[in-house]
Amino acid sequence: MINAVLVFNNAGQPRLTKFYTQLETSVQQRLISEIFTLVSNRPSGSCNFLPLPPLLASSGTSHTSSSEHNDTPSLVTYRHYATLYFIIISTSTESPLALIDLIQVYVEALDRLFENVCELDLIFNFETLHTTLSEMIVGGVVIETQLEKVVEGVKAQGKVAKRPVNEGRGGGGLGMSMGGNFVGWAGR
Amino acid sequence: MGLKEVVCRIATARVNLVKPFRQPVRDNHVVPSSTRRGVGGGPHVKSRFTCDHCNRTLRIICAFCYATTNLSKSTQKGFVNVEFPNHVDRISQSARFEKSLYDLIRGLRNHKGNEKEYIQNSLKECRAEIKGSDMDLKATALLKLVYLEMFGHDMSWASFHVLEVMSSPKYLQKRVGYLGAVQSFRPDTEVLMLATNLLKKDITSTSAINMSLPIITLPHIITPSLALSVLSDLLPRLTHSHPTIRKKTIVTLYRLALVYPETLRPAWPKIKDRLMDEGEDPSVTAAIVNVVCELGWRRPHDFLPLAPRLFELLVDGGNNWMAIKLIKLFATLTPLEPRLVKKLLPPLTNIIKTTPAMSLLYECINGIIQGGILGSNDDSADGEEIATLCVSKLRGMIMVEGDPNLKYVALLAFNKIVVTHPYLVAQQEDVIMECIDSSDISIRLRALDLVVGMVSSENLVSIVGRLMRQLRNARSQTLEEANERPVSGVIEPIADSDDETPEVTIRPDRGASQEPLLPDDYKIDVISRILEMCASNNYGNLEDFDWYIDILIQLIRSAPLAKSASGAEERGSRDNSSSSLDISEKIGDELRNVAVKVRAVRASATHAAENFLITMYNDNSSPFSPATGALKPLAWIVGEYASSLESPDGTLTALLHITRSSAPAECIILYLQALPKIFALVAGDDRASWTPERKTMSSLLMARIIHALEPLAMHPDLEVQERAVEFAELLKLAAEASAGQDVSSDEVEQGAPLLLTQAIPSLFSGQELNSVAIGAQRNVPIPAGLDLDEPINANLSSLLRAVDSALFDEPDGDEFETYYYRAPPSAPSVSEPAANRLGGPSEEAVQSYQHGSEESYLDPDIVARRRAERLERNKDDPFYIAPVESSGTSTPLHNILQSNNGPDLDLDAIPIMQLKLDGPGSEMTGQGLPKKRKPPKAHQRIQVAADETLGSGSTTPKFDDSENSFEGAQRARPKGKQSLLQVDSSHIGAFSLEGDGSATGIDFERQQREEAEMAKAMKEVDRLRLEMQRANERIQAAQGVSLEGTVVKKKTKKKAKPVEGESVEPVKKKKAKKAVIDEGQGEASNVAEVVKPKKKKKKPKVDQVNDQPETLVQPNE
Repeated sequence: MINAVLVFNNAGQPRLTKFYTQLETSVQQRLISEIFTLVSNRPSGSCNFLPLPPLLASSGTSHTSSSEHNDTPSLVTYRHYATLYFIIISTSTESPLALIDLIQVYVEALDRLFENVCELDLIFNFETLHTTLSEMIVGGVVIETQLEKVVEGVKAQGKVAKRPVNEGRGGGGLGMSMGGNFVGWAGR
Repeated sequence: MGLKEVVCRIATARVNLVKPFRQPVRDNHVVPSSTRRGVGGGPHVKSRFTCDHCNRTLRIICAFCYATTNLSKSTQKGFVNVEFPNHVDRISQSARFEKSLYDLIRGLRNHKGNEKEYIQNSLKECRAEIKGSDMDLKATALLKLVYLEMFGHDMSWASFHVLEVMSSPKYLQKRVGYLGAVQSFRPDTEVLMLATNLLKKDITSTSAINMSLPIITLPHIITPSLALSVLSDLLPRLTHSHPTIRKKTIVTLYRLALVYPETLRPAWPKIKDRLMDEGEDPSVTAAIVNVVCELGWRRPHDFLPLAPRLFELLVDGGNNWMAIKLIKLFATLTPLEPRLVKKLLPPLTNIIKTTPAMSLLYECINGIIQGGILGSNDDSADGEEIATLCVSKLRGMIMVEGDPNLKYVALLAFNKIVVTHPYLVAQQEDVIMECIDSSDISIRLRALDLVVGMVSSENLVSIVGRLMRQLRNARSQTLEEANERPVSGVIEPIADSDDETPEVTIRPDRGASQEPLLPDDYKIDVISRILEMCASNNYGNLEDFDWYIDILIQLIRSAPLAKSASGAEERGSRDNSSSSLDISEKIGDELRNVAVKVRAVRASATHAAENFLITMYNDNSSPFSPATGALKPLAWIVGEYASSLESPDGTLTALLHITRSSAPAECIILYLQALPKIFALVAGDDRASWTPERKTMSSLLMARIIHALEPLAMHPDLEVQERAVEFAELLKLAAEASAGQDVSSDEVEQGAPLLLTQAIPSLFSGQELNSVAIGAQRNVPIPAGLDLDEPINANLSSLLRAVDSALFDEPDGDEFETYYYRAPPSAPSVSEPAANRLGGPSEEAVQSYQHGSEESYLDPDIVARRRAERLERNKDDPFYIAPVESSGTSTPLHNILQSNNGPDLDLDAIPIMQLKLDGPGSEMTGQGLPKKRKPPKAHQRIQVAADETLGSGSTTPKFDDSENSFEGAQRARPKGKQSLLQVDSSHIGAFSLEGDGSATGIDFERQQREEAEMAKAMKEVDRLRLEMQRANERIQAAQGVSLEGTVVKKKTKKKAKPVEGESVEPVKKKKAKKAVIDEGQGEASNVAEVVKPKKKKKKPKVDQVNDQPETLVQPNE
């Protein structure tokens, strides 16, 4: 199952934290910063899987009975989009390649909802991030992988707020159209 | 909020005008939110308030009736008078002045540099807002808290308010409340008790979106008692008309079952119906498959009957995600039902050959491997075909350029195969070895896992060589980065500090190119793998121990020292991760093990240790400190095998140098022990005569050692103290003795003092030390007559008293002298270990020539020494081609080669393959020049001592017992201390889905436990209810007494409020209460509505009852 979904930006600022097991806030923060350290040091052309962060590694490497092993989080999958890292922590019972696709679906769903989604959208509408995620994953189990249904489910809960019009640092204005939807995605 | 905003803004604006404010007033004064009420509907407010923020006193004059839009012109001493420009009603004002999430985030971005302060202020505001009665404000405050929680600001204190917002009738507010619950509730959150009714009510709500809120929240907050109470409401949702609700309910039921397995008894039949229903919505079916897959590996037996339906779904379900899950499920089913294999093979082969989705392809292969389909060779033709297909596909994945993910997952798959089919993996050694040098650490680690599994005596040297090269190449890098790393390591996400452009549309990015860097953790991992590989099977894979010793020395040099020395303690206390074990010491331990176990190389191991110590002493710039972990075993080696030392004097000097009180106690202990051993060797020669020079040298040496030991006599560590004092006193005696001994002159032959030649060496000679197996100690039988409770000396106390009273007689020296001068009856002549006599001369130890390129990972000095040794060893060998002219034995062939190829040719660098002349299947694989005919099987002469144990062998029942208990303890530990994030599903493993009434013993036990738990929970609920009722009665009684002076308990507050009659807290309470009653009267139909606010009112009282008794009743003003 999926143990946690995290989103943070290039500076390690969290944008979404969702843990499917109850965890102390301070431990959550430590885990995030450990994963950020790992993820920000990746050379280009690396794979989308991280070695276990120290917090998780202590128990992950010990080879106990196989059933015990299946319950332990042992896979950290991430994807990097522009300024954001999307991370899924899961047990070995999930398929690694499929998780990469799952992140893709999540981001595409956000893109549909916000139209050319960018980090600002996610900062100001972090509630929508949660809503979207809960249309895809409930209690660590994936319930939906189809883009349309996810988007539909979120929209059924009310209008998705647009990013504030006058937001932007230095009055840079944000209304500009980003043009082109997710051109660079490698289809898998 | 609104009011205080205004006040603060004005105060800021007028700060220069208002004289009494000596210090500048900071913006955002925080005034207790209760002030807001005055503006709301009451009369004008004209009272004093203190700003929580800067402690200034502010006077607020509410003047919303005034037509003027001007600010007040009168400023009084210490007060600011504020007149409100317009009469604004409460709602619009709160809409205007409350800080929304948007404001918070923007404020965060505008307060770069002092986010901490800003956040603290915001938290304070939220704290005030969330306590108010305005639901809008509450919800907004909660949303802000949830946002701040993401950055690590605890909001567990707000759990009661979360509950309040959850109960809001407005969907958007409710959603915020539920989000707050998901993000902040912990198992010990007390208000969960109170949430049960709310959850039940929302689950049975009429609107689908309302209903799904509790359903998606439950997995995060579920407890056994909660599961029991919501189960009955949740079950009907399985047949809800809306597919979204159905699929969410299924997953939630699964999470319920994890904590409360009984859930499955009523739920499973229904879930099964859903699964069997062909007309079911495909996404619901997919969700069920996901759940079944999660349950499947726990209890595969229960799902065998479903196989036909699952198979059907696999064949014609178009959903890749579901197909992957199905394949994973089947992989757990096939071992139980071999007939499935035949059925599965065609569709799986089909998928492998046709699917465009790489993930599905991979999982097919993975499933085939894991399901044991490869191994089940009923019809070998098919099995063979599929095996080759799978392995070739996996191999292809590793070879594919440009997609590291495939490399990674292929290695993952190999890791699974290597357990069952090591030969299949061994065939892929070439590609796997390449992955070890990948720039990607994830891939390296996986490859490393694999390599440890497939190491053999043939490839050990080359694999270790590769790893050593890695370590060596990374060394300089990490040293540079050692200074930068902490900076990136302690990133503390506080607030937005985004200079980067968050406006950029999100697109995939492979990250900026960076130099690959080896973190110390990784290096430590690699080193321990090297040690593991070499030491595995009691050094069974190792042929060349000299090479291994060199490797070990090299490892000590390249081990990440600085961190392990200084950071070990900190990290060790923080979390007991395996890396906190000092890797340097582990390497040293290995060297010691080799020295102890392998007699043939004991001398070389001792030389290596000796050289290391001496070099460290001579080289001032050496990075090693006396605290280096490896020095402990090294010091032991040079002490124990002192007779093999080349330069005992030098070693002694080096040891003395590191025996300082600055080193950690556990190191000094070992250094201290080694000192007298070496000294005994240096000074204890009983054949040489006692010449004046020798006398001088000895006394000088003793003086030096005593000088080093004496400061340690005051060491805080008792062990250090004891050893230091012991040896120092011994040496002082020896010094005395040697001073008194006349030197031998030409006429009189005088021997050295016996104390030096006999007594001290005899302390350290005797039985040779061997390695002892773990657990052997426990097999030592307890002597029959041993009674540990019996005092050793019955009249000990009287003896002690006698010592106290008796005069301390100075023992006369003669007695001591005769004692020490008398030779012990059977003292061995020298403390030379038997190994040197028994073991073959080390020069005959055989060298493997497979590691031609060892220069690439060994330090130059080691390489040079190895070359010199090789030269020396082979100088009489006519077939050996010496690399240098000066060797004197250069053959004409060498000259010819050199003249043809130029002087740059380094013959040693030519890789030479090992010649396997004997043994089955030997073949000429050598490329390059065979330098020397290798004596066949010579390595077998190196004997590795096995661990010593007691009894007839390792199969002694007793020994097994101890071993088992050791294992058991290890196995039990993970259960006690779970991994972070781990969901414990072990309960469910024993639960039978078929749910026949005959419960097994385990089930029964569990049931009992659950019943007890339930009883406890019910008791708790009863207690709470009783308390609430009492509190309620108290209030009602108080209300009955006087209508005006309602008696309300004051809330406990952290900050003590000034009770100067200004506190409006009780009033608020009353109003809230009134509002509730009004509401209740207005819509009497909505019973739950009335009940709920009551509850929420009671909650603080419940807390108080739990926490502290207090003055319950406080009159209102």
